[in-house]
Amino acid sequence: MRRALAGVLDFVVGDDVWTALAVVLAVAATVVVARAGLDAWWLLPVAVPLAVLSSVRRASASGASW
Amino acid sequence: MTGDVLLVLGAALASGVEMVEAATIVLALGMSRGWRAPLLGSAAALGLLAVATLAVGPALERIPIDTLRLVVGTLVLLFGLQWLRKAILREAGVLSKHDEAAAFAQEVARARETGRARGPLDRYSWTLAFKSVLLEGLEVVFIVLTLGVNQGSIPLAATGAAVAAILVGVAAVLVRRPLSRVPENALKFGVGVMLTAFGTFWAAEGAGAELPGGDAALVALVAVTAAWSLLFVRVARVRAA
Repeated sequence: MRRALAGVLDFVVGDDVWTALAVVLAVAATVVVARAGLDAWWLLPVAVPLAVLSSVRRASASGASW
Repeated sequence: MTGDVLLVLGAALASGVEMVEAATIVLALGMSRGWRAPLLGSAAALGLLAVATLAVGPALERIPIDTLRLVVGTLVLLFGLQWLRKAILREAGVLSKHDEAAAFAQEVARARETGRARGPLDRYSWTLAFKSVLLEGLEVVFIVLTLGVNQGSIPLAATGAAVAAILVGVAAVLVRRPLSRVPENALKFGVGVMLTAFGTFWAAEGAGAELPGGDAALVALVAVTAAWSLLFVRVARVRAA
């Protein structure tokens, strides 16, 4: 069961847990802001490229193998 | 309508690029050990993938649309970012690109080293073809189901994926060589852009945010995602230099 869950997690999240975590937090923030009745549509289109940029910068600086 | 076009395109591109990788292994097995077992193994895997799509699809369709879009949109976004990040790093030269010709040569060498088949069916070829097609196909099934169910048409996404898989299979049989001239990283880049845009759109809508322009926002998201991805290729090149 644990191996199956790890397999599913690896399939969806992949090697970069930090990017995945940032995206999940951004989605959660979108839910909270939208439920508060505020404009929330811009949150993900801003957060996603920032998360990817951070990941790309880390990977290219370290020559990461993933 | 535009969403449907993007849906078919995304499913077809994803399926095409995954099937190129599976076709390389099936070709190597077929040309070095005979065609019967790898073709039967591939057919069995494709059958299992079709059954999985038919079984899971209707179950997903019963979930309320907002919950579905939030959960599945987030999953598509995470999954798409894996493709996109790797495609950016490969394009920038940080990661090496997948070399179909080298993979083919390696697979042919391995297949020739392995002992000849005993009995009517070459179990080595059957098993390897089955596993390769199944593993590559699982990603396609995930994309077909998630894109299809959110856009309201699993059959449309499945058709796009099936047509692309058939085209790749026919091309591989005709040329009898690995499809190394297919611009694999460019296709993966395209799939990554589309999955990221679809995921962003659905996750935001599922979270209760209303994107300006409705479905037209999806097209804008594809364009914007492609633009920042290309910019990040440059960033990665500069940092890696």
